[in-house]
Amino acid sequence: MQSLTKTFTKGLWAEIPLFRLMLGLCPALAVTTTAENGLGMGLAATFVLVCSNVLVSALRKVIPNEVRVACFIVIIATFVVCVEMLMKAFFFGLSESLGLFIPLIVVNCVILGRAEAFARKNGVIPSLADGLGMGLGFTIALVVLAAIREFFGAGTLTLIFGERVFIDQPFVFLQEAPGAFVALGLCLGAMNVIGKLGKQGR
Amino acid sequence: MGNSMRMIFVLGVITVVSGLALGGLNELTYEIAQNNILRFKKIPAVANIYEAASGKLDDAARTKVEEELLAEKLLVDLGGEEPVLFFVIKKDGAPFAVALEDFGAGFGGDLGVMAGFDLETGDLVGIGITTLSETPGLGTRVTEESFTMQFRGMSKDAVYMVKKDGGDIDAVTGATVSSRAVAEGLAKAKVFYEANADKIAEKIKEAIGH
Repeated sequence: MQSLTKTFTKGLWAEIPLFRLMLGLCPALAVTTTAENGLGMGLAATFVLVCSNVLVSALRKVIPNEVRVACFIVIIATFVVCVEMLMKAFFFGLSESLGLFIPLIVVNCVILGRAEAFARKNGVIPSLADGLGMGLGFTIALVVLAAIREFFGAGTLTLIFGERVFIDQPFVFLQEAPGAFVALGLCLGAMNVIGKLGKQGR
Repeated sequence: MGNSMRMIFVLGVITVVSGLALGGLNELTYEIAQNNILRFKKIPAVANIYEAASGKLDDAARTKVEEELLAEKLLVDLGGEEPVLFFVIKKDGAPFAVALEDFGAGFGGDLGVMAGFDLETGDLVGIGITTLSETPGLGTRVTEESFTMQFRGMSKDAVYMVKKDGGDIDAVTGATVSSRAVAEGLAKAKVFYEANADKIAEKIKEAIGH
């Protein structure tokens, strides 16, 4: 049981996809203009990641090694299209604001990466834990990054506070693409500082 | 040989199962998604045409107009493959314009244009953009009023092409393909409307009276 917890929690800190492994950067930087979008994107990716991890793991003995990447991509693409259809039906506003980045989850490195690095070598339950952990880690990272960009870049935080405006003249720069890199860099720096402090404390 | 057969078989089975699953899910969600597009894309586009004709509305009035448009939409069988969807735009309680949607080929797929035609004169009342997948910040600028408002009251004799192609439509700078798609959708809607104007007018009378 120890290792299962570890499998789950490593995605939340030690190997948090966006900040530690630097995977999935493209959608992360593109959609993190509001915390709401970040959360939506994160949950969509988590759903795909968990489903694909479980299925890849369940089929790992059936899939021939030579065509495994093709099989993984078909499995992942299937779940992505599922998410896209479900979102269009039940979360129309969100699907409008995420737009093209939902179909692009197919090529998100986190998902293929976990299928290749973990799910194809491990059982269904550990793969589920790995998918959940990595997915939640990705979601947390997106929400944090998006919250920073939204709060300082647009002066709002619609996910929690609705229409309320906190800053009258925000740094609009943070809402744009270069600002996304700056915000990401600051997050990485903060992660490193916290990590070091943690080690010293021990 | 056995190994390569196995590869083909496994990949084939996965693909077929995936196709079937997606087909099934599409059956289940298609109508809900279409309903969303109607409610959140088409109706607001018609409301924009309404505003082009009758001036700006405040939020409450606009919601009311949208509800009315939704309630009075018309599905008319004109002998084509599928019945065509029309929206009746009223002024002072009487129908004065009809809106219908058509598509042009944009940069990222089909671009939907809702075009409103005056029932009396056949001139354009205004347009609204419905669905598009153009480049954000560039092609998507065709949805802005600075572009769409030029169609307000445009004569039926105008040439529905962008100026670069010898028409009367000012393209958005840097978004010629998207502007062309709007012109194309609009021209198609116009041809369709003019071919069926009498039938459409008749149906509106049947449905709403006057």
